[in-house]
Amino acid sequence: MIDALLAAARSRVDGADALWRREERTSLAFEAGRLKTTGITEEAGVNLRVVSGGRVGVAGTTSAAPDVAALVDRARASAELGEQLDLAFPSTSKFPRVPTFFDRAANASLDRLIAIGQGLVERLAREGCQVNVAIEREVGETAVGNSAGAHGGYTSTGVAVTADVVRIASDDVLMIYDQYVGGDLPTDADLDALVRSIETRLEPALTIVTPPDGALPVVFTPGGLAAIVLPIEQALSGKTVLQGSSPLAARVGEQVFDTRLSISDDPLAPHGPASRPLDDECVASAATRLVEGGVVRAFVYDLETATRAKTRTTGNGRRGIFGKPGIRYTNLLVGESGHVGAQHGAPLLGGGLISDIQDGLVVDDLIGVGQGNVIGGGFSHPVGLAYRVQGGAITGRVKDAAVAGNVYELLKRIGGFGSDGRWLGSRWSPSLRLEGVSVARR
Amino acid sequence: MKDRLAAALKASRADYTEIRLERTWSSAVTFRGRRLETATVSEDQGGFVRCLDRGCGWGTASFTSLDALPAMVARAHELSRAVRLERPIRLADTAAQEADVALDLDGDVRGISLAEKKKLIEVYNGAMLAVSDAIVDTQAVYRDEVSEVWYVNSEGAALAQVRPEVTVSGTAIARRDGTIEKGLESIGLRRGWNSVHGLEERFRVVARRAADLLDAPRVQGGAYPVILDNELAGVFIHEAFGHLSEADFVYENPQAREMMTLGRRFGKPVLNVGDNGAAAGLRGTLPFDDEGTPTQDTVLIRDGILVGRLHSRETAAAMSERPTGNARAMSFRHAPIVRMTNTYIAPGPGGATLQDLIKDVKVGVYACGAFGGQTMLENFSFTAAWGHMIRDGQIAELVKDVVLAGNLFQTLDRIDHIAGDFTWNQMGGGCGKGGQFPLPVTEGAPHVRIEEILVGGDV
Repeated sequence: MIDALLAAARSRVDGADALWRREERTSLAFEAGRLKTTGITEEAGVNLRVVSGGRVGVAGTTSAAPDVAALVDRARASAELGEQLDLAFPSTSKFPRVPTFFDRAANASLDRLIAIGQGLVERLAREGCQVNVAIEREVGETAVGNSAGAHGGYTSTGVAVTADVVRIASDDVLMIYDQYVGGDLPTDADLDALVRSIETRLEPALTIVTPPDGALPVVFTPGGLAAIVLPIEQALSGKTVLQGSSPLAARVGEQVFDTRLSISDDPLAPHGPASRPLDDECVASAATRLVEGGVVRAFVYDLETATRAKTRTTGNGRRGIFGKPGIRYTNLLVGESGHVGAQHGAPLLGGGLISDIQDGLVVDDLIGVGQGNVIGGGFSHPVGLAYRVQGGAITGRVKDAAVAGNVYELLKRIGGFGSDGRWLGSRWSPSLRLEGVSVARR
Repeated sequence: MKDRLAAALKASRADYTEIRLERTWSSAVTFRGRRLETATVSEDQGGFVRCLDRGCGWGTASFTSLDALPAMVARAHELSRAVRLERPIRLADTAAQEADVALDLDGDVRGISLAEKKKLIEVYNGAMLAVSDAIVDTQAVYRDEVSEVWYVNSEGAALAQVRPEVTVSGTAIARRDGTIEKGLESIGLRRGWNSVHGLEERFRVVARRAADLLDAPRVQGGAYPVILDNELAGVFIHEAFGHLSEADFVYENPQAREMMTLGRRFGKPVLNVGDNGAAAGLRGTLPFDDEGTPTQDTVLIRDGILVGRLHSRETAAAMSERPTGNARAMSFRHAPIVRMTNTYIAPGPGGATLQDLIKDVKVGVYACGAFGGQTMLENFSFTAAWGHMIRDGQIAELVKDVVLAGNLFQTLDRIDHIAGDFTWNQMGGGCGKGGQFPLPVTEGAPHVRIEEILVGGDV
């Protein structure tokens, strides 16, 4: 498909690249403990980008037998209005090896997937609680090529298992959620970790306590860290840097964060849910150290933003069937320099960071993350799921509390990195303890 | 297309089968600052099959290759039979409909060149950039589509619908030194090319406000009487209450059913809330939902009392209630689930004005527009786009970082005054649930007063 498309484009445009992707998904949904829906999805499509008259255009289709000439026409029409850009496609077809396809996942029968879900439902069942479990298994095939002669591709598998427990007691609604995401089927240890992670958060949540007040130590769990990591993710994107809105744009080489903080994007990370040998623009995968020892080192780019910024792409191009490629992180690893990306730690609420906290919080989920003015680093959110720590121990769940602060201030001095490092989606991190977070009750 | 559907349906051996096919033509033009980022035309197509055998689970199949339709019907049936349920899934009765519905294309967007669409959005983008030197960045997006949808089921429903959609939206970023503020405008209509002209002033207004917010103080945190403008009141009722009224949240959970018992008081008698999928000409409007049930106006809260909820055929049967036409799917990639359409707070009696709502407020906040909102079950957080202090019954200085946080049950009960100035707010974007985003919806409300709510900013 790619070859035919590039051949058809060759004589009519200055340059082109294309992506073809086919995905087959099997999904199961257990609702209130019962398997209610079983489904499959088969989807295939092609995305073509051309450079024509020095301008870039793009077109895509999900048609099974696309009219190649018409697709090239549409991409050219898009280029007539498109951006003027001297886009140079990569020419190498040498890519690193990284496992993306797992036979066990690809060959797992429907009965095997049902058994995984049924097992989770049984282990999570509690009096007065509703248990929902969803399982999705994907088998994919990706091919990428360009008019500079590069071509590559890979097959892949992906498995996502999500579980939530909902407990409603009069007007108190408690929901505890967790997930396993990986290329292979979850092992027994992965499923144990998922169950225990929910249990360790459910038991102490049954007691509701008064929230504290003031500038306090707060442990952000890997889930709770979303609000802390989001502004940094945005600031480390080459697109934001180009646009002039990244607070880190002019600070490469500077000590901006705690000297132990490391942040990297690694498409070759072992067990990384987003691992792959090349990106969607045919660029070989390689790790990018974004922050090392608290010093800002680099930003992530795709081909177009790199061209405009007069730098090299970091292989972070991601494209769908429709629209232009854009920047996307692969596996984002956040943690203490030298200790990042280790295997799953045991689920431990508080990450082993609370024993000397006299009064503070463990925050697992915040409401409204991503609203408002994220890029500046300031945040203020009501808690979705948080626990009070008193005298070094968790005393119960707090409601009606809010936390606020500025990410850039708080990450200058990190109170500790937890022993509970784990993947949550394609981000790996342990819990982080931050000092002097503003906590308010209402 | 109809013949292919009929043949595939006839060949199905499942007790119940439904098939949806879609073909969507769309185009988009995006500016970022002065730079044109993309101008594209796309064609997307595919199908969705759902089968149900008595005593079994749902089996579904979604696919992009239409030639695979007969095979996909067989697969969905096979998947249904793979699951046995002790308590069978039942579907509430709905009269099987046959209809061909083409909404007014209002200037078919397929006949307008990309160059013309670029020219239009460039004007709106330029209007934002020209407002002030403080506007350092913009994003302006034109998007349209025409979607053809065919639906059939084994109970005799046969529907063909043509749905147009057009959206123009803009973000203006104002910056001075380290301070960054933004303004958003978004207009989304179930209309066509003829309805998106002459809107420059609306884009100018949001850019001017972004620049003005640079000098505005942060609101002082605390509990205040708050008046929500029409837009924020609409977003509030959708997010904070609407999702709880979707029956799939409660139908399998005895405790949730108890919490949402019909007859429970949710607010003062002034509060009336509903969802109307049949309202004329709105973005969330459809003649039939994606199970073929006709849409309707469903009252959810009448005089402060919970009286209704939103249903699919399955949730309605499980709760012995009637389907409301709220089973919607984002596209052929998804199964229909219970969703809102056009959700509203009805105007209060007596035709009160904004002035009537603020005149006896000593110190309060007038919260306007919405940057976003999230509900986590009974707790919510909403970020207003901007606000004004209210002092001695008058609208006073502009303030920023107006974040409203609270508990749903307490807050609904504190709505004590509702104006008569109802408007539908036709925005682009849409609602997200169960991985299906953005589903076109509309929200409507008049100005609404909440006696007391926590306003964050500085906590």
